[in-house]
Amino acid sequence: MRTVSAAETVPTTYPWAVHAEGLRVRAGRHVAVDGLDLALGTGVHGLLGPNGAGKTTLIRALATVLKPAGGRLTLLGESVDGRADLRRVRRGLGYLPQQFGFYPRFTVREFVEYMAWLKEMPKAAVPGAVQRAIDRVGLAAKAGSRMKTLSGGMLRRAGIAQAIVNDPAVLLLDEPTVGLDPEQRLDFRELLRDLGVDSCVLVSTHLVEDVVAACTDVVIINEGRLVHQGTPDDLVAQGGEGDAGDSPAERGYSALLRRHRAGAPR
Amino acid sequence: MNRILGIELRRSAAPGSALVLLVVGVLLLFFAEGIAFATGWMQLAMTQRLYLALLWPLALAAGAWQARREHRSNVTELFASTPRPRAQRTVPTLGAMAVAVVCAYLAMGVAGGLWIIGTAEYLPASVFVVTAVGALALIAAAWLGLAIGRLLPRLVTAPALAVAGLALLLLIPGATRPRGWLALVFSPIYEMNMPGAYSTVPGRASVAQAAWLAALAGGAVLLFASSGWRVRVAALLPVVAGAALAVAVMPHQSRFVTDAIDPVARELVCAADEPPVCVSRVHSGLLSEVIPPAREGLAILAKLPGAPTRVHEDTTTYVPEGYPPWHEDVVLLEIEAGPNGHLLDADTAVTDVVAGAFASPPGCEKSAGLAERLAAAYWLIGREPVAGEANDPEDIAKAVELWRSLRQLPDDEAKARVAALRRAAVTCSVGEELTSSGTR
Repeated sequence: MRTVSAAETVPTTYPWAVHAEGLRVRAGRHVAVDGLDLALGTGVHGLLGPNGAGKTTLIRALATVLKPAGGRLTLLGESVDGRADLRRVRRGLGYLPQQFGFYPRFTVREFVEYMAWLKEMPKAAVPGAVQRAIDRVGLAAKAGSRMKTLSGGMLRRAGIAQAIVNDPAVLLLDEPTVGLDPEQRLDFRELLRDLGVDSCVLVSTHLVEDVVAACTDVVIINEGRLVHQGTPDDLVAQGGEGDAGDSPAERGYSALLRRHRAGAPR
Repeated sequence: MNRILGIELRRSAAPGSALVLLVVGVLLLFFAEGIAFATGWMQLAMTQRLYLALLWPLALAAGAWQARREHRSNVTELFASTPRPRAQRTVPTLGAMAVAVVCAYLAMGVAGGLWIIGTAEYLPASVFVVTAVGALALIAAAWLGLAIGRLLPRLVTAPALAVAGLALLLLIPGATRPRGWLALVFSPIYEMNMPGAYSTVPGRASVAQAAWLAALAGGAVLLFASSGWRVRVAALLPVVAGAALAVAVMPHQSRFVTDAIDPVARELVCAADEPPVCVSRVHSGLLSEVIPPAREGLAILAKLPGAPTRVHEDTTTYVPEGYPPWHEDVVLLEIEAGPNGHLLDADTAVTDVVAGAFASPPGCEKSAGLAERLAAAYWLIGREPVAGEANDPEDIAKAVELWRSLRQLPDDEAKARVAALRRAAVTCSVGEELTSSGTR
């Protein structure tokens, strides 16, 4: 019998899973996202940018944790503003914050199940979805272990498991590869590619190589604004021999940032 | 929801809280002041309520400790991205803490109940009401702790709340004096100390307390589940409404519980066979222990002319003052359960029955002294008076002196003097019957 995921309960008639126009988001008093235009559909989108570029603030806004201060933000066809009922949108979201909080006494399975409950998943679908999410991140052997006993990499994988338990239509991962060893990173890239087949996945990272290897689309922001959006090949094509970086993709990234900074108003 | 409640019951502060409450509760029950609940189920229920003095602050602290979890675990952001409203998110936590404190309280009752189950037979419905109010008090405390702990998620909140809760319970009686009934409304422990054999908690007191505690719990839930200041202010409404209702329901009289007597507990229940031996219903479990010494005592007394033929429990109460009906053919016997639930002073029961035959009606000013009664009783029994725990050594010394003087007399003379004492006692005209032959 096929189980129904929460993601399937949200409408799929929207042209973009994520659509921002002139989006402004504050991080405290500071406007961290300032007039961002962005459209994301199905696929894996790598979000790159230097420290303080507004990546985490953007992801928090997309996760509906921060309210937009201006502009328009549409998630899964639903306009997100101060008056919106976000409950339906949130059922279709998966989110791994940069600082992943968890209940240390819970086991992995219990925590993922708890998150499935918070995501209002259909009761009958929960056990299967929990097991599937844990299997996908390779934590089946640790499903019964308490969260507090997990290593940093395992915790990150548990965080991804809770994010994907509801088969989200929009999956937001903020620095998901922190703490993963090289082998786990390779597995993670595989998982990302798999998730991106049906969902809109936005991965914030500093690791350009991960983006090139796993993403179908690259989004670069700086000072809260969109610098570049295109395929990994586009990114590679932007770099030249004189740009900083150990790989063509890193050189492309450096070149785009350099040009943006040069053209940005002082 | 059930699975999530199960997870919370296993992984939250609930199991630890239950364990602490249970251990502290059982220790208090058995070791704080000796075993004060051996008489019966109502005494157990009231003693449990008394020990809320410590359990209530502990539940408050447990709630505050649990409330820190979300703050400590840094899950606020993650949970904020999920669709389930905060009010619903709080339900498993509230449920787990409520289940924990109620289970601990009931288990404490079971521990006490196992101690008295062989001897306590009278189980009025009000026992369940008194226990339910106690459990409700703990739920309110745990939930209030959750609410305050959420508002003030500091390490110091839980211990500070425990101290504040204890201080509150201890200060309420003084703060509400001379309106003792106000203390009864707001303190679940007030007037629960040293319950007598026929004590009870009137239904109106329980209803008023339940109204207050339910309102307090309701306000705490609103506060805990709130996500804005409006709801937090609105949380005061049920508390104020509950307090007003409780004040209206509670009779405005002092010592409302202390002076309450359960008439059914005080009713006599009697042995089926002759001679009649009756005890109060609350002591019905002790009847089989009372019958042998009572009948032995009656047999000894049968030597006297007009000897009593029945033994009834002395159901006199001093607060409020109340006496059993007076009959010349009845010996009134004070019955008390010992710490083990069985008849206290069973070894002196025969003497007590025989000496009881020389008691006078209530209000009599010319009654026989203890020494005279003991001397007469021991003469009938045929051995020298011995000191009992409750007896004044001077009374014993005088009883021995009188007993010896009786022994030196011819049997007929001694018996006549003892019979005269009995007649004088029941007619409230005691003089020098044991030491003088001229009064017969």
